[in-house]
Parts: sequence; C-alpha cells; structure tokens
Amino acid sequence: MNPSLPPSLSKLFSHLYVEQKVANHPHTLKIMEKFERSQIILIHHYKEVFNRSNQSFSAQSDSKKLILAHKEGKFLHEGSQYSDGFDIEQFFYASSVMGCLYDCDYCYLQGLYPSANTVLFVNLEDAFAEVLPYLGDKTLVATSYDTDSLAIESLTGQTRLWLEFAAEHPNLHLEIRTKSANVKPFKSVTPNDKVTLAWTLSPQRIIDQYEHATLSLEKRLKAAKEACELGWKVRICIDPVIYTDEFELLYGELIDTLFKTIPPELLHQLTLGSFRLSQSHLRSLKKLRRSDIAFYPYDVRDDMATYPEKLESHILEVLLKNATRYLSQTRIRTWQRQS
Amino acid sequence: MNYIITALDAEARVLIEYYRLKRDTTLPYTVYKGEDTLLLVTGMGKTNAMMALSAVLGYRLPGRNDTLINIGICGAPSEYDLGEALLIHQLIDENRRYYPDILYTHTLRETSLICVNSPIESPLSFPVDMESTGVFQAASKFFKLHRMAFVKIVSDHCQPNTVTKEGVVALMKPHLGTLDSLLSSLQNVAQEQPLFSEQELEEITLWKSYFTVAQGIQLEDAFYYFRLKDSARPLPFPKTDIPVSKRERSVLLESFIATLTV
Repeated sequence: MNPSLPPSLSKLFSHLYVEQKVANHPHTLKIMEKFERSQIILIHHYKEVFNRSNQSFSAQSDSKKLILAHKEGKFLHEGSQYSDGFDIEQFFYASSVMGCLYDCDYCYLQGLYPSANTVLFVNLEDAFAEVLPYLGDKTLVATSYDTDSLAIESLTGQTRLWLEFAAEHPNLHLEIRTKSANVKPFKSVTPNDKVTLAWTLSPQRIIDQYEHATLSLEKRLKAAKEACELGWKVRICIDPVIYTDEFELLYGELIDTLFKTIPPELLHQLTLGSFRLSQSHLRSLKKLRRSDIAFYPYDVRDDMATYPEKLESHILEVLLKNATRYLSQTRIRTWQRQS
Repeated sequence: MNYIITALDAEARVLIEYYRLKRDTTLPYTVYKGEDTLLLVTGMGKTNAMMALSAVLGYRLPGRNDTLINIGICGAPSEYDLGEALLIHQLIDENRRYYPDILYTHTLRETSLICVNSPIESPLSFPVDMESTGVFQAASKFFKLHRMAFVKIVSDHCQPNTVTKEGVVALMKPHLGTLDSLLSSLQNVAQEQPLFSEQELEEITLWKSYFTVAQGIQLEDAFYYFRLKDSARPLPFPKTDIPVSKRERSVLLESFIATLTV
C-alpha cells in the first residue's frame, strides 16, 4: 500500500494495521473509508503487531491503534464463573474484538493482552455460523465481554448485525453491556425482549478515578433511560463495586440518582456485585503498576481475588438496603463468592 | 540518554558536530558521547548493526526513559523526493516484519522500509536500507517499542553508485531540526516516573527483610496501594522496635498493612 498523508492529529486510530487476508473484506473497506487520514499498514497476521514483546500498555492507552483481522479460531467461548449467565444453560460470550476503547483500571483486559491496541475481527459472518448449531435451545450470547462493543459501534456496526441476527432466531438471547451513551443502533431496530441492554454505572468519583475515557454517569443514565423508553429491556449493573472512602455515601447517592432518573418500573433488573478477578489476571494487573485497585489486600481463594468476606457482605448489604427502597428484591441480582 | 545509531561515518559527521560529541574508545566500535547523547556508527549491514548495538547496549544498559533513533540514508522508488526524511512504521526483512510504536504526532511522511542484504539497483515497492532490522532486533531487547524511531533520508532512486560521502553529509544537514523534534517527541511520550524515591526504596527493602518472603510481598503490595492511591502522601513507616517473636512481628505486619490500605 502506498504511503499516504501524515497522520491525523487525532491520536485515536492514527494507524490501521490491516491483515492482507481481509484487506478487501467489505467491513474493512468501510472502516478504511472512515479513517482516510490514518496510516494504513498491510500486515500478515494481527499477532505480529498485537503480540509484540516490549510494548507499553500504559503508553499505548493514550494512542490506540486499530488492527483489522480475520478470526481463525472460535468466536464463541463458554461464559465465565465471574459473570451471571442468568440461568440460561448455554451461555457463551462472543469475542469479535480484542481490547477496549475504554481504559478501566480494574478491567481484566489489561492483564489479559500484551497490547492496549484494538483488534477487530471483521468476519462476523463466521460467528453467526458458529452460533447456529446451538439455537435449537435457549442460548445466551454476551457480545461485549472482551470489549465495550457499543463504544466502537459507529466503527464496526457489529451490534446492529447481532440485533438483526437475534431477530431471526427466537432462541437467541443477547446481553450487550456498555459504559457508553450510544443508543443509536436501538433506534432503528424493533425492540426484542430476548435482548438485554446492560449499563454499568459507578459513582462519578469512581469514574473519574478508575474508568478512564468512559462516558460520565449522567450520559450513561440518559442513554439507559432512552433505551428503556424505546422499549428495550434494560439492566443496570452496579458491578464491579470498588470499595473506597465514603463508599456508603457514594454508592447510596448513585442508587438515588439512578432511580430519580429512571423510574423503577422501566428497569428490567439491577445487578449488584463487588470487584473480583482471577488471581492470574490480578498478577498481571500488578505488573502494570497503574492503579491502587491491583494492590488491595484481597482475599484470594480458589484462584479468585475478592474483598474479604466481611467487607464483601457489607458492600452488598449497603447496596441492597438502598436499592430495595426502589425495587423489589426479586428484580435484583447479586454476585457474591460462594464459600 | 538518547542513543543515535547510524551505519556510516558520513551520516554521523554532522551529528558529531551538532551535538558536540567526543570519541569514546572503551569498546571496539565507533562510539561518540556527549552529556546526554550516545552516537554509534555500526558499519554497513544488518549483522554489523545488530552486533555493534548489542555490544553497546549490553555495556551501558539503557534507562526506562532513554530513547533510540536510527537515522541514515535509504534508496527509494521515484515517488519519494530526494532529501525527504521518512518515518518508518514497518520494517520488512524477507518474511519477518517489525513495528516500532509511533504514539506521537509528527510532520514526516510515514512509510514501510525494506531491509536488504546488499545495494539494489531496481526499485522495490518501498524504500530500502541495509541496517534497520538489525538495529530493531538488538534495540527491542532493551527499549520499549514507543521509545525507538527509524528515520531514513532518501539519497537516491535506487542508483547507489550516485551516493557520495559529501552528498550524504549534505543530505543529513537539513534534518538536524527534524531529529531534535523527534527526540523530544519520543522523550515526551509516557515518561515513566518512579513511584518511590531511592530513600523510600531502601526503607521498603529494610522493612521487607523483617518478615518472611511471602509477608514481604504482601507489605510491598500495601506500599504500592498507598502510593498509587495518593502519590502526595509520605509513606507512614511505624516508629517502633521490631519484635523478636514471629507472632508479634506478624501482628505488627498486619497493623502496618491495615494502615497502608485504609
């Protein structure tokens, strides 16, 4: 590919690394059109950029690059024990993006990948083919496990494709979780009660401190409310809760603000859960030395790090006490270590 | 320290004058040094580049905020102007490809670069040089990928016989400003500041020595928690004698960790 203009002053995606194999894929061409001023670099395989040694995750976080690739292995993976499968036996997450535009200090992605760049697998048609054999039974697919898919929806259009696919398959349940304020894809598609949109909320102080580059609480709430009003099933996730000074006050206010903004009857569910992480991911977070969250003296058992049992129970008690003032307990799901 | 790597004496000549460097004969390689600059002339070819740079970096280990620039001439297809400075975003060596991280804004044209084994006389799809992948392979063991840059100045349109020593010197001269601004960009990207001062590190090491290895790791984590939570607070080392009994030491550790992680 010929060299082009100098990179745009905007740092995000100033460079697009494109696998030769997908250089002519329709999604690739669409995306490249949107980044006319970016450097386009043809590569053999995404790993030659994404898996390089001696990358700096924190330095790259301020200037993320985009890698467009072809997924060779499985798109679908079994849901993890750290997440709620909502009692649906066939629970998967789909991994069509690696890396996230957002930069949350507590996110396992920081420990998972050697790079802060984003890999987008453009051959989503293969993911749909992989889901099809399961759709004789109820199947839940979480589409935003390894990324906040709505944050890059304007680039990928993948959420809209999942919604269209779900509309054709009644046994397919989707969970789309986000910290964005993007409701655009939900305006042009008929609401589907098998699709749950989940907004993760935190007190603004926690957002400022730990959820870098994410949308403000106000904007997330506004978006969640709009989705409710459009007729979509919306779950609010106050999860992960980060224990901090004035925890009671901060999270109490958050719950009050939530229900002042969104009437309880419009919400499908509320999920509450405190921070937890696998020990191996925690070790990787520690190596980055970016945030105090990695260094709290957690209770580590069975490869899972959680707040000590007493504190974890206290966190849930406080949240439940506040939340049940607005919502019946049957509509509140909680995550707690099963000891 | 800024490490500047060239292949040829002619490429180095203006840099030696500009940065007021003095010859350093410690190693059997052509090295010039200044207050905060080290210039290495590797000789031609990937192997020479890799050997010389490995020796220099092994002799003087770079610090975490040090930077490296490989600057020199290249042959290029005719769409590149003679004398134009290019910033390289992909180095190609047969089937291997290497990628420095360009995390800063700049005004240079970016391109891929093919690293060849000997001068070529018919143009390839990208500019060509003979050292860059050797430099990258050696440097990437020591430098983070965003702390190195590869700058090539077009000397010819794949007519290597037209390149003279005087011509190389003349090609390098106008790009001293480019080099300065690139060095400053590299230095400014994500400067890593140590979390603890030397004195604090000494105290931390001392405190860890009072406990078992596992307890020492817990204590170190608590120090990190304390500092990352609020970098302005001084570490609150307890002013107390260290108990002799293991049990009492464990109690002291528990209370110290509790203080640090409140």
